[in-house]
Amino acid sequence: MQNENAVTYGLVNKEVIEPLFKPSLAWAAIFAVDLLILAFGVYCWSYQLEWGMGVAGYTPPVFWGVYITTFVFWVGIGHAGTLISAILYLFRARFRTGVYRAAEAMTIFAVLSAGLFPNIHVGRLWYVYFLFPYPNQRLLWPNFKSPLVWDVFAISTYLTISSVFFFVGLIPDIAAVRDSNRNPIIKKVYNMLCFGWRGTDTQWRHYMAAYGFFAALCTPLVVSVHSAVSWDFAMAQTAGWHSTIFPPYFVAGAIFSGCAMVITLLVPITKIFKWENYLNILHFEAMAKLCLLTGFILTYSYIIEHFIGWYSDNPYEWGIFVDRATGQYDWIFFMMVACNCVIPLVWWFKKVRTNLWGLWLVSIVINIGMWFERYNIIASSLAHQFDPGAWVLYVPSWVEIGIMVGSFAWFFMWFLLFVKLMPAIAIAEIKEMIKPPLSTDTEEAA
Amino acid sequence: MSSHVKGVFNHLDSLITAIDRLRKADFDDYTVLSPLPRHEIEEAIYDNEPSPVRWWTLTGALVGGTGGFTLASLTSAVWPMALPAGKPMISIPPFVVITFESTVLIAGLATLAAIIYHCRLPAMDLPIECEDPRYSSDRFGLVFHDLEGARKEEAIKLLHDSGAEEVSCADDEDDATELVHEEA
Repeated sequence: MQNENAVTYGLVNKEVIEPLFKPSLAWAAIFAVDLLILAFGVYCWSYQLEWGMGVAGYTPPVFWGVYITTFVFWVGIGHAGTLISAILYLFRARFRTGVYRAAEAMTIFAVLSAGLFPNIHVGRLWYVYFLFPYPNQRLLWPNFKSPLVWDVFAISTYLTISSVFFFVGLIPDIAAVRDSNRNPIIKKVYNMLCFGWRGTDTQWRHYMAAYGFFAALCTPLVVSVHSAVSWDFAMAQTAGWHSTIFPPYFVAGAIFSGCAMVITLLVPITKIFKWENYLNILHFEAMAKLCLLTGFILTYSYIIEHFIGWYSDNPYEWGIFVDRATGQYDWIFFMMVACNCVIPLVWWFKKVRTNLWGLWLVSIVINIGMWFERYNIIASSLAHQFDPGAWVLYVPSWVEIGIMVGSFAWFFMWFLLFVKLMPAIAIAEIKEMIKPPLSTDTEEAA
Repeated sequence: MSSHVKGVFNHLDSLITAIDRLRKADFDDYTVLSPLPRHEIEEAIYDNEPSPVRWWTLTGALVGGTGGFTLASLTSAVWPMALPAGKPMISIPPFVVITFESTVLIAGLATLAAIIYHCRLPAMDLPIECEDPRYSSDRFGLVFHDLEGARKEEAIKLLHDSGAEEVSCADDEDDATELVHEEA
């Protein structure tokens, strides 16, 4: 935190709570554009519901395309929030305090966006409950040995526990918003949202104990959820998927993209809300270093999976890796390598990673690259399977692209609402970083 | 007639002094209010006694883990694979994933239940004297409940001597607060 001595408890309340509720013209304009894009996404989905899955660009045998790609992308984005809030909490990393609330919110909204895609992908939305493996009388086979069932459990648990962790963290800060507001209706609503929290000694005692347990529970979840997503692919026999490296490779990629998205979201917010006291270049630099580390793990994984493809002496395995780099999807492979392995290297230069523009632009490039990575894994493997007679070119339709773009609008809609309705910086935890007011200080000053 | 006595503190160390003194003076019905969690407050009041929340989390984890494994095993027994080909009906490796996820899920929900129960949430029935917007901003509070006669005077003096910047008291029946002392 900048100027730790100049920041007081009262100032934290004032600076974090002041930007709430009053939408600026810029905010309203961005929100309106976002809703328009979302409306187009909703139109595309309703078009697909009316006309069926034929309007998606699926080309047999490619039935996992943009929807599953975007699902995995959003689950990956949702990774960093819990990593920052839980793992960095247990490690007592100081840079976490300023960024974790927005990162947690990003997690919830990203998983909400990911959660749309199984619904969209199944086509007949009204049968979506078939996905849940509960014992039933409909002759469905609830197979707990299937990675798709593991995924249902992993994503549901992740969404539930991350939401609880996020909301529990918000309770004292919602109480601070309630106490600073004079509008009786807002006071009442926020009082209900914080369950009448008053910050008594009993409340803080049990709250802090529980918060530590939530962090401990969420830490293995961060590793488990994207491992489970990776097994959706790695447990299949498909060439290019059937690899033991997938869980660590997916987890590293998820943290890489999630941290990049945190930078993408927080750079403009810090500028707009003038939160330089709480979010400064040191926070962003720490995030950039985390991206550099995970980006290296990812690059190493790309190299190893290609090496193993060659070393395995399996023509199907090696064939898919050659095809990805030189075949019909070569430009996607090129985008993936350029955006994830090459361009982020500019963050090795301190000048770039301590420059807000340098941070923001590269973080967007990483997000684009990570979407292409998932597309590269999913579509290219299915379009180039064992039988050359079944090799096809899958090209997404306008409906798929519209729904994918709409999911971004859906994500940003929640985030824009969040920054106007809830404190996006953790008030109570920022206060913990400040030296408490002591009578000895006052006496010395006198 | 019983009264409550309330002290508002600007400084954390003054509050800790007040807590130490009230414990020595055998006051037992009081509430400390704070805008942030401070370990000094918890140590002064609870002597580092751990919160019982941990038992809720442990119980939730055990119930969740057992339940998840049982669900997967019983379901596999009722809906067996048509061609098991020598594969075990109850297979540990794939069920570890389900067991792990349900362990975390139920442990997390049990921890949430623990917060709700032990923090007495929703805290809509807290005494009115605990409500002060300053306690979520930049002041600490110490409230004595149900005091009478000499004990009331003793509490006022204790707060005053410990360095409270504002001390007030009110009868619980009419709730009209009378400012006893305010530091300039």
